[in-house]
Amino acid sequence: MAKSVLLEVITPSKLFYKGEVELVICRTLTGDEGFMANHSWACKLLDVGELWIQEAGAKDFRVAAIAGGYVDVKDYIVIYTDAAEWSGDIDLEKAKSEKERAEQWLAQPHTKEDYDNILLAKMAIAKSLTRMHVSEGGARRKR
Amino acid sequence: MATSNLRDIKRRIKSVNSTEHITNAMKLVSTAKLRKAKSTFERTREYFHYITESIEEIFNSTTDVPEKYLAGNREIKTRCYVIMTSCRGLCGGFNTNVIKEADRQMTYDMNPPVIVAVGSRGKEYYEKKCHYIHSEYCAPPENISFMETKGISKPIIEMYDQGEIDEVVMIYTSFVSTLEQQVKTVTLLPFQIDYDPNVMKLDKIVEYEPSVEEVFNYLVPKYVEIMIYGAIVESATCEHAARRMAMESATDNAREMLADLSLYYNRARQASITREIVEIVAGSEAQK
Repeated sequence: MAKSVLLEVITPSKLFYKGEVELVICRTLTGDEGFMANHSWACKLLDVGELWIQEAGAKDFRVAAIAGGYVDVKDYIVIYTDAAEWSGDIDLEKAKSEKERAEQWLAQPHTKEDYDNILLAKMAIAKSLTRMHVSEGGARRKR
Repeated sequence: MATSNLRDIKRRIKSVNSTEHITNAMKLVSTAKLRKAKSTFERTREYFHYITESIEEIFNSTTDVPEKYLAGNREIKTRCYVIMTSCRGLCGGFNTNVIKEADRQMTYDMNPPVIVAVGSRGKEYYEKKCHYIHSEYCAPPENISFMETKGISKPIIEMYDQGEIDEVVMIYTSFVSTLEQQVKTVTLLPFQIDYDPNVMKLDKIVEYEPSVEEVFNYLVPKYVEIMIYGAIVESATCEHAARRMAMESATDNAREMLADLSLYYNRARQASITREIVEIVAGSEAQK
């Protein structure tokens, strides 16, 4: 069994997860990255994406969708994110309808002033896509 | 004369009695709301220090913090005040305490301050004083979401980045216990980093990705957002606690008043009966 490390996943409204894990995979701005015990210290920004947690002693991964944030790796790992959901808690219908709404909005012609809103809509699409992937067990598993 | 006096007292008893009912009901309502707000507050506080600590740790351990976020990088001319009040009254000195503290802070300012008012009470006060109110947020604070606080913090950070404001000060009420609340003033930006000798200096090299600057550019607004969110939650808890206290003492006072009034009423009634008897006796005596 690999060595385990303490992982904490924090969102503004609650402590999302706390426990000993062997491996945690999350999407940094430069790509998916896995962290295990004794990782060199790091502080990395996270993109909207999937969070994979392999708990100590477990074979399978637990999957959650997270909405960006940062990971702080020291002798323990802290992931801070604005929002997080386990795969089981995701409302697939809601994610689909949100994605459609954002896509419809994007399809309309926009002026330059809408730049922020365009970003927001793209973000919404990314979030709902992640949710949809995660609720089906994660994009990685589908491959 | 005597009957009108009796009627007056009776009317007052009735009015005080209905006031007592109202304050008592409000006390119960705010007790329930306080419980709810307190549980949210405790949940936020639980993880809260993690984030602030981890951010402070990063600030402490690196020397490459972008200078614009550090204290002393520019002269402080215009201050921005984030003032957290309630949207409703009847909560004792809750709002006045915050406003008093804010006024005290503002006396030292040269330039007119920029005010971000959370809660309508503070907004109304400063509107009357003709201050410039940049933005306001007036929905009931107990069910504010983190996403909504972003709407408050984003313009603040933009203004700071553009140099329109040089310091961001937040004034809110901090929760000590259900019986005690304290007004607190916190400077959000720029950071005052005092290299605390107690904080262990991190001796290992930390990888930053994509770059130190990017990490800081993400962390600083986040820190402001989190602090504001936490303060709103805390201030909402305090509001309910303060209102509960105010309503409790109002109820107590009303009850005391009722006891006094019913004593007066009984006395007046007794006096009028005695007088009537005296009159009757005197009349019958005169007929003899």
